[in-house]
Amino acid sequence: MNLFVNEETPVIVQGMTGHQGMMHTGRMLEAGTRIVGGVNPRKAGLQVAFRVGDDGREMAIPVFATCSEAKAATGARASVIFVPPRFAKSAMLEAIDAGIELIVVITEGIPVADTAYCVELALSKGISIVGPNCPGLLTLPRKDGKKGANLGIIPDGIVSSGPLGLISKSGTLTYQMMGELADIGFTACIGVGGDPIVGTTLTEALQCFEDDAETKTVVMIGEIGGNAEQDAAAWAETHMTKPVVAYIAGFTAPEGKQMGHAGAIVSGGKGTAQGKKEALEAAGIPVGRTPSQAAGLVREQLMGVEAR
Amino acid sequence: MDLYEYQARELLTAQNIATPDALYAKTSQEAVAAAERIGFPCVVKAQVKIGHRGQAGGVAMVNDAVEVERACARILPMSIGGHQVNGVLVAAAKNVLHEYYVSISLDRSSRDFDVLATANGGTEVEEIAKAHPESVKRLHISALETFDLDAARRMAQSIGFYHADVDQAAQVLLKMWKCFKDNDATLVEINPLAKVGDPDDESSKSLCALDAKISLDANASFRHKEWSSFRDDAQTDPFEVRARELGLHYVHLDGQVGVIGNGAGLVMSSLDAVSGAGLQQGTQVRPANFLDIGGGASSDVMRASLDIVLSDPQVRSVFINIYGGITSCEQVASGILEALEGLRSSVPIVVRFDGNEAGKGVRMLEEADDSRLRVCATMERAAQLSASLAASPSVADIHCETRHGVSSDTAVVQGHDESASSVADAPAEESMGGAR
Repeated sequence: MNLFVNEETPVIVQGMTGHQGMMHTGRMLEAGTRIVGGVNPRKAGLQVAFRVGDDGREMAIPVFATCSEAKAATGARASVIFVPPRFAKSAMLEAIDAGIELIVVITEGIPVADTAYCVELALSKGISIVGPNCPGLLTLPRKDGKKGANLGIIPDGIVSSGPLGLISKSGTLTYQMMGELADIGFTACIGVGGDPIVGTTLTEALQCFEDDAETKTVVMIGEIGGNAEQDAAAWAETHMTKPVVAYIAGFTAPEGKQMGHAGAIVSGGKGTAQGKKEALEAAGIPVGRTPSQAAGLVREQLMGVEAR
Repeated sequence: MDLYEYQARELLTAQNIATPDALYAKTSQEAVAAAERIGFPCVVKAQVKIGHRGQAGGVAMVNDAVEVERACARILPMSIGGHQVNGVLVAAAKNVLHEYYVSISLDRSSRDFDVLATANGGTEVEEIAKAHPESVKRLHISALETFDLDAARRMAQSIGFYHADVDQAAQVLLKMWKCFKDNDATLVEINPLAKVGDPDDESSKSLCALDAKISLDANASFRHKEWSSFRDDAQTDPFEVRARELGLHYVHLDGQVGVIGNGAGLVMSSLDAVSGAGLQQGTQVRPANFLDIGGGASSDVMRASLDIVLSDPQVRSVFINIYGGITSCEQVASGILEALEGLRSSVPIVVRFDGNEAGKGVRMLEEADDSRLRVCATMERAAQLSASLAASPSVADIHCETRHGVSSDTAVVQGHDESASSVADAPAEESMGGAR
């Protein structure tokens, strides 16, 4: 499914009735996301009330036993998953089996074998997974009048619409970059996640923005571990017509130490920030030394695009 | 989570993969007893979680008890590549006829599992790949596929196992895959997978795993209670052991600026900023640690974090970098202030807030009037100030730094004023360098 969801896309929340699920479902509703249901077999049949908007009007969101029931009743096309790691695989499988087209997995700490299985299954069925271990997906209002939607935990109110696309492995660095470039604005922010295997890679996210007419320039935030940045650089060099600017975190990270994210580890001299920077620069993608400097490079690129 | 060879060996043996008779020994006496049980000749191998131990002198062939003692006296105190040797594995010596290399690992790029193998095993696979790239075969196992004996046999053939070894190799591949899956591994490597036996007696020849490396997925620990025996606290940095007990994501580094932030990416970025500032200022100041408090704004998390960071005697300043997303900076500010109550350290703490309620958070810190606190508007400035504070042996030096404009857009919390105020002018400085 195209990641450019909007306010019409019907969304369900798996794990809605938990603490995180409740808080973020409230936020997503507030942001205009069309949440049509929650999934929890033990609370099926309940209605959960959320207060939304300045007038505090009440919205009752039904809870279903399974994704399939939720889809049958509501026509849900996307799901956001907040369940704990040990239940994440069955939650993903349930969504895939139900034919949910876009699955955003916020959960951190999922065993990588579980993710690998679900991602491969989803890919074989043409289903998109974003994450796991990600802040989610935020789309902003578009020129055709469609409003955006917020699927996940990215804070609202930092940015408005504009010509930038943002891709990031990290949560708070996403917000930092959104803040740095708030005056210019974004089409969408895609948090791809910090796990070793993710459903949407940096390359696939680049492709989304390449295909999106309203996006003019893309900012990509990477970090140590794996080859996703190198893969993205190689892809961009031959496929990307729009400018890309990058920032990489973790130059100071020592070998063999996991820096918070499960995927953020330099091992056997591979996955270093320096190696990623060099690969990106060799592909013509400038890399900022700090998030602020990367934001400055974005401004330069954008001026270049406008001058063209 | 990386395992020692002796632990990896246990996991292979549990799948009926042939390994030499071997016993783990922590002391020289234990090693002698082990060697006598196994029989001479045998091999004494350093247990250490790093490669190239043979080249480093961590492996010895021994023929009697005296030689075992001599090998242990040399190997046990060794440190290889910064890793202290943790006991030895005493293993029966084998007559090696040929060496293969086989590994199964998680492939992050293709999002499946990689089988890497060569008929020219024995050394590090990277070196083989460099010298004979054509001889290293890379095959994939999909997460969805059923990897059975037929598939394993086809794989063994395409790897190029010698004809007589193909059936046995297929069995080994199958068992390795089971070992990989059952244990939630991210790497199972056998190097060498050796053909051993009497060269003149075909029936004595068999494949045997002479050395192994296994890494496990820490995210899967909730379904592997048995992994508790793999915990390696004695070899883990004591600060990291304590931090883990407190549930904090902490990595101990070797510098002077303690770094605390919310979000792994932001903390890594803060470390880079501190290193950059140290270089720019011509000091050797570097970050002392990585500490991600996640969404945790509570005073408990902040107190535990400051406790850990400040218990490192190298730490001369602390940089707290918070981008308030969902978390409000006001909550984080109150967490910091509560944590500071009763904290005896006088180490200066530089705070940078941005995002949700950053203004309110800053004001709260200002009003608290704590001489240890300083606030900076940007991450770069905060990194520079914390680096310069860490490099200053005395108050006088800090004054000097600030007169040179290092912290021109920063202000000491006490008497904070949008327009100006240098650190030197602030009364807060009085208590900074002094003992408390």
